Amino acid sequence: MLTLFRIIKFAFQDMARNVGLSSMTVLILVLMLLSINTLVVINVFTNEAVKSIKDQIDVSLYFNYEATNEEINEVKSYVGGFPEVTEIIYLNRDEVLAKFKEQQKNNPEVLSALDELGENPLGPTMIVKTREPKDYEKVIQALNVPEYENIIEAKTFGDTQKAIDRIHIITTQVQRFAIGLSLLFALIAFLIILNTIRVAIYTQRIEISIKKLVGASNWFVRGPYVVESLFFSIASILIIGGLLWIAFRLLDPYTAIVFQKSNLLFDYYLNNRYLLIGIQLGSVLFLTVVSSLLAMRRYLRV
Amino acid sequence: MVGQSGTGKTTLVKLIIAEEKPTEGNIEVGGWDITKIHQRDVPFLRRQIGVIFQDFKLLPKKTVQENVAFALEVAGVPHSRIREVVPKVLDIVGLRKKVDSYPHQISGGEQQRVVIARSLVHRPKILVADEPTGNLDSINTEEIIEILKRINEFGTTILLVTHNREVVNRLRKRVVTLHNGKIIADEKEGKYRL
Repeated sequence: MLTLFRIIKFAFQDMARNVGLSSMTVLILVLMLLSINTLVVINVFTNEAVKSIKDQIDVSLYFNYEATNEEINEVKSYVGGFPEVTEIIYLNRDEVLAKFKEQQKNNPEVLSALDELGENPLGPTMIVKTREPKDYEKVIQALNVPEYENIIEAKTFGDTQKAIDRIHIITTQVQRFAIGLSLLFALIAFLIILNTIRVAIYTQRIEISIKKLVGASNWFVRGPYVVESLFFSIASILIIGGLLWIAFRLLDPYTAIVFQKSNLLFDYYLNNRYLLIGIQLGSVLFLTVVSSLLAMRRYLRV
Repeated sequence: MVGQSGTGKTTLVKLIIAEEKPTEGNIEVGGWDITKIHQRDVPFLRRQIGVIFQDFKLLPKKTVQENVAFALEVAGVPHSRIREVVPKVLDIVGLRKKVDSYPHQISGGEQQRVVIARSLVHRPKILVADEPTGNLDSINTEEIIEILKRINEFGTTILLVTHNREVVNRLRKRVVTLHNGKIIADEKEGKYRL
């Protein structure tokens, strides 16, 4: 207990008396975390953009106007049974007619033709959304069976299949690129932290050997550096937390315009706070502790 | 212990404090065979031997008092005992007024006195002084030798490694002469003969 108390005391004493070196170490950790968090933000943007593109894709099934409710419900429950399907929006004949009229409100010829008909010529419509664009084909294939041939008049997917395929390829590539870039930045951050700690330990190599010559055990020498690593990691996480808070307050009004979501970044960080803080604190702590222990090894051989 | 440069005097000191390990032969310190000492026992050995280095080896970011106290703190000595012992030892070496100074704020002679205080603080049975006056002028040399003589009179064995002829001749103590790593003379009340 006494030894632990002394280790903590020496750690804080070292930090206070090497304030320049301590600040520099924290600054580099903050810069590294900033670059990592920039990538997290880019990932959030990418995912949100991909999601909003995917949301805009759907398949419309136009039913024959003579199709009965039983037949439509059967198709609905059949399609709804697919795990890939996330949403089914059903519009009855009246709703389809109202929507059509709204779309054609500037086209009096079409509206008067409708009036002349005297009855609603449009059948009900079902809008199907799936998890991934590639799943639409599966749904369409499943509907290409003889028993539904007379009920479903048309499917829009055929016309947009190429576009959907293209979007799928682009979104997959964008996500892969973001992951690749994140890994590259993580590697750069790892190397910079490793070398920062190595330099910090190198500047104290003589002190380390003196402590050993005076009779300190290896852990008595290592201890303060481990405590300092913990302190630097917590300090850098707190600083980065503050910086991100300010950045999100400034950025979120703009992201709200683009993605139609208020507090997108702030909410993302708030919802994933334990994971984000845990991973970042854990990684920085692990890196700083391991690099100081490794860097110190040669100077402890006295 | 006297001998020309490169003859193995500092190597001997390093062997005694287990900074180096012998390739052959045996080393015994106070009845403890340290020839094959385990790495984890080295700190315990060093806490029983006081070592004074030519280049002082003081911790630059610690004050005089903290440097001396550090030798006790590594050994887990309670705080109350440290507060009692450190001022006394600093009194012996005449540095009571410099307790809060950092090594760079005091002279070479004073720094060496801090080193002596640090090596004495855990009451070692043997004090190894490797060229303790090598970086000092004649006045400071005189002072350091006087302190070492006083410590010796209190019953601590001192191994003084030096090539300062004047110091050796004036001390009139046992002189072991080393040449090419071998003892070539061992006189009970010897003189510097190289």
